[in-house]
Amino acid sequence: MAEPIVDAVHLNKSYGDLKAVSDMTFQIERGEFFGLLGPNGAGKTTTIGMLAGLIEPTSGRLMIDRCDPARDTNKVKAKLGLVPQDFAFYPTLSARENLEFFGRLYGLWAERLEVRIREVLNTVQLSDRAKEPVSHFSNGMKRRLNIAIGLVHEPAILILDEPTVGVDAQSRNAIFDTLELLNQAGVTIIYTTHYMEEARRLCHRVAIIDCGRLIALDTPVELTRSIADSLIFIEFANGLDETFINRLSDLGKARITNPEQGKVQLETGAREQALKGLVELAEESGVHIRSVNVLEPSLEAVFLHLTRKHVRDTAKNGE
Amino acid sequence: MKGFLAQIAAMALKELTILRRDRQALALLFAMPLFFIVVMSYALEGVFEAGSRGRPIQVLVVNEDDGTLAAEAIGDLRQIEGLFLVETIGGGRITSERAEQLVRDQVYPMALIFRRDFSGRLQAKATTGSAAEAPCVVLMVDPAMNRQLIAPVKGLIQGDMERRQVIAAIPQRIKEAFARLSEKAGEMGPHVGDVEKEFVASLDLKELGGTNNASKLLALSAPKGFGAERRPTTTEQNVPGYAIFGVFFIVLTLASSFIREKEEGTFLRILAAPLPKTALLIGKLLPYYVVNLIQIALMFSVGILLFDMKPGNVAALTIVSLAVSAAANGLGLLVAALGKTEAQVNGLAVFFAITLAALGGMMVPTFVMPGFMKTLSRLTPHAWALSGYHDVIIRGLGVRAVLPETAVLLGFACLFFAIALWRFSFR
Repeated sequence: MAEPIVDAVHLNKSYGDLKAVSDMTFQIERGEFFGLLGPNGAGKTTTIGMLAGLIEPTSGRLMIDRCDPARDTNKVKAKLGLVPQDFAFYPTLSARENLEFFGRLYGLWAERLEVRIREVLNTVQLSDRAKEPVSHFSNGMKRRLNIAIGLVHEPAILILDEPTVGVDAQSRNAIFDTLELLNQAGVTIIYTTHYMEEARRLCHRVAIIDCGRLIALDTPVELTRSIADSLIFIEFANGLDETFINRLSDLGKARITNPEQGKVQLETGAREQALKGLVELAEESGVHIRSVNVLEPSLEAVFLHLTRKHVRDTAKNGE
Repeated sequence: MKGFLAQIAAMALKELTILRRDRQALALLFAMPLFFIVVMSYALEGVFEAGSRGRPIQVLVVNEDDGTLAAEAIGDLRQIEGLFLVETIGGGRITSERAEQLVRDQVYPMALIFRRDFSGRLQAKATTGSAAEAPCVVLMVDPAMNRQLIAPVKGLIQGDMERRQVIAAIPQRIKEAFARLSEKAGEMGPHVGDVEKEFVASLDLKELGGTNNASKLLALSAPKGFGAERRPTTTEQNVPGYAIFGVFFIVLTLASSFIREKEEGTFLRILAAPLPKTALLIGKLLPYYVVNLIQIALMFSVGILLFDMKPGNVAALTIVSLAVSAAANGLGLLVAALGKTEAQVNGLAVFFAITLAALGGMMVPTFVMPGFMKTLSRLTPHAWALSGYHDVIIRGLGVRAVLPETAVLLGFACLFFAIALWRFSFR
């Protein structure tokens, strides 16, 4: 196996008593498209901050392309391209001027800078709008420029934090195409998102983080396979007694999420059989079913299974 | 090192480009102090320069005296620099009623009225020593007029009246002295009168009464080493004052720029680049420092070109300018370090810019402030900067003389930078 481009071993980051990242160990292969998935406050941003050399780990070992970010900070920073979630550029400058400035910070000047600006503008399809002030751009164009700035110095690793927030489907697809092309060209991509379909489409492997801990790491296919066939959410019209819950558990792994309101989450490997059994059981016990919602096997289901949180709901709260 | 300098250049270039497109910031930094200089120089010309040779105070003169002494006194007053006597209007003499109306209508600020028996009363007082019950000369002023302007005019007229009174008394006193002498020396009796007449005639009382003698006796001077022996003009007071006022408005622009970069995430992106924090700070501050120097150069150019201000020693001015710009930039970084949001930064910056300017004598000269305020003003960089500029422009001093002010300003800069760097968060 080739040496990983990112090697994180027992990484910890604390702010006083708060443990933002706890004992996190993972490796990212060179050329990999690596996803980081997690709700608000899960520790994604802190993890990215440590990878980008912006936050120093409290303990643990982190190597980026065989360099220690704590010792060779600037050498590591030169290998990384950061695309923050917010639009991090100057709105009164043009796209070209923004690229010129950030390129110069990475030591690009004169002809080399010109060539790179042309290339990245071409990559993100902004060549024809290069001289316009960025404040005139649409959200999608701004997202593409945000990515272009992270690419201007040809980083070996591109770190993207929720790069498709607030863009339309067309722009999102354009961004996906760009990222896939970059990845095919050999750029290692670390991608945080709360959109499951993005992780499924783009990422070779996905790390699921919650409460500062890495709780799962595998390919999207293996992760979905790792949980049961289906998750069934049932809402009963009345409260549930213990006998009923015990009999419900025979149909699968029952988790009572809200017993007062009669809400139950049923995890099963045999969906059809479980649904049939549920109806029969309800009739026998005289319990009325208000609603049944079946969640297909997916990363969303995996996330829900592992964290007991809806990733979209948590994302809406801020991250 | 080359890469370090290139990164500083990139930061500075970016900052200048953004600043160049920020019309509000440019207006605040350049138009605002320029506006103040021009408007306030014209507006306050009357306060600062009234009574000077170029801008004399106009005084209506009404002569109702039936003797000759009022005319002689008026002749004296005509010679006084800073007073312009208006003795006729439309070719005719002015009556006291007309003068009162003109003062009431604010056409003239004051009128000097010599009453009909001015000469008689003055002679009577000189010969008998008895004071007149009613004043024989009246200075009528608009009550709304600045007291600081009335006082010197009143003093000048009062002084001249007293001198006239003394002169009027001299012949009588001599006569009395000779009379006492003749009583004691009876044999000289017939000759005493002749000696007395000869003695009085030999005294040129007209010359004694003229103001030229007074001006020959009193010469205007300045402390040793001070080159200028003239009063500062409004412009010489206002240009450095409002230039310093404008220079410290860089605090607002600079601190806001830091906060905006933090809020918009560009600071994070810059920190993610292989850029030393010292390069970041130098590159960020350098353009504002240069802008400060351009501001000062522009303000002084306006003073020189529009108001004929004499700049004095340019090297000394440059040294003070370099130091005051450093202090302003230091304060800007301090405000950026203390404020967490743009609103906080704006509030702090405006508070510092206005309060320190007022306290430092930019709006109200420190010489009119009470003692404790004068002491407080020395705690502001503004007061030291103004003192440095006045040393050069008004007192005509050179580089060596402004070194103490420069040292204090650099001390302020070091203090501001030290606290700022201690409190500054790059996140």
